[in-house]
Amino acid sequence: MRSAIDDAEAVARARDGDLDAYAVLVARYTVRAHRAAFLLGAGEEADDVVQEAFVKAFRHLSRFRVGEPFGPWLLRIVTNETRNLNRSRRRRAALSWRLGAADPGDVATDSPVDEVLATERRARLLAAVTALPDNERQVLVCRYFLDLSEAETAQILAWPLGSVKSRTSRALNRLRGLLVPDEQSRISHG
Amino acid sequence: MVDQPGWQSHVEAELRAVGRSLEVPPPGVPTAAVRQRLGGRAGSRHHGLGLRLRPGRLMWRAALVVVVAFLAVVIAIPQGRAAIAHVFRFAGIELRQEPGPVRHPGSSASLPGQRTMSLDRARHSVSFPILVPAVLGPPGDVVVSDRGRVVSLIYPRTRHGLVRLDEFAGHLDQVVFEKFVHLGGVTEVPVDGTRGLWIKGPQELIYITRDGSMAAASARLTTGNTLIWGTRQVALRLEGNLGKTTAVAIADSAR
Repeated sequence: MRSAIDDAEAVARARDGDLDAYAVLVARYTVRAHRAAFLLGAGEEADDVVQEAFVKAFRHLSRFRVGEPFGPWLLRIVTNETRNLNRSRRRRAALSWRLGAADPGDVATDSPVDEVLATERRARLLAAVTALPDNERQVLVCRYFLDLSEAETAQILAWPLGSVKSRTSRALNRLRGLLVPDEQSRISHG
Repeated sequence: MVDQPGWQSHVEAELRAVGRSLEVPPPGVPTAAVRQRLGGRAGSRHHGLGLRLRPGRLMWRAALVVVVAFLAVVIAIPQGRAAIAHVFRFAGIELRQEPGPVRHPGSSASLPGQRTMSLDRARHSVSFPILVPAVLGPPGDVVVSDRGRVVSLIYPRTRHGLVRLDEFAGHLDQVVFEKFVHLGGVTEVPVDGTRGLWIKGPQELIYITRDGSMAAASARLTTGNTLIWGTRQVALRLEGNLGKTTAVAIADSAR
């Protein structure tokens, strides 16, 4: 895959004040930035967060290191803006996550009954994720809902890599019982 | 730590599946607002391309807001080395003035999760009204892709050869195309009382998934010419070896 104006080139031109080049980056990253903001807790204000993040990112482009990937750098700003928003709210907005139709490829089942079970299991899992402590939920959002690597997650949440690993593993442990009750009981009793 | 236990990868896989089916509302289009806040007038740089963009009247209605980036189709218009990349969005289609990722002609490319079905069934599988051009009549094949995000009406044998009409939930972008002078044969045409874009010649086309990434398997070179237009609820792209008048007539007859 190749693309004529890659991120690095767009960033270089944007630094020189080329707003058209920056518009390429805005267009390219809006969906990802919005998804991150929404899932990290901005909720309905995700659009505002995204707009603010793009404005700040442009103004801070001089701090951007050449050769660094733009996505995680931008998402870190998105995360900061989301945190600012949550700080300024009196209470954290309730997470309004909902499951849509499952991807057919995700439900490898032969029967509608299995499909219903899979859907219920996922709804339970989602409820459990929303109930996790903030740090643990955020790390799961980054790793599994935004498909980021451990290193990217560490950059975006501004945590040491070790914290990403330990919080991920703690969160996964909490969710374990939901999905594999048999194995759980075998281990705890055996 | 011992090997990653099996339960862990199981939980991880389930989490990823949950992530894929999470409903995230469609984002707004921040391009114009960001540009304005950064001090540039929308479309203030033309680089001799004669393009002018301005933020249009807000055509959004809460109930109709469907992301533009949500289904963007990249149309790469090959230009000289001096080409400045411009990205335009129109009725859910993103036009990029840059070489696309592939140049494989042919139609072996596919959209994610393609399923052929009857028109009636398709109407129940998508969230927007499917428009059928009266001029062409009932389609030969109806293909629904990506869990109802796109429907394609295929007419294998018309007087003009293979004609394809892709439809998806859309609306007119708040950035309105004002004028094209030289942009690889892209011109504005009136379609059924609204604006459409007429794009002459083949372009590279790629499908953008819900999470904003390019679906590599969908990349292909289009055949003939393309007309893009939109109603309040549906965005459409008509592709085939059609002249402009014929294409507009087909579009005008879509009900």
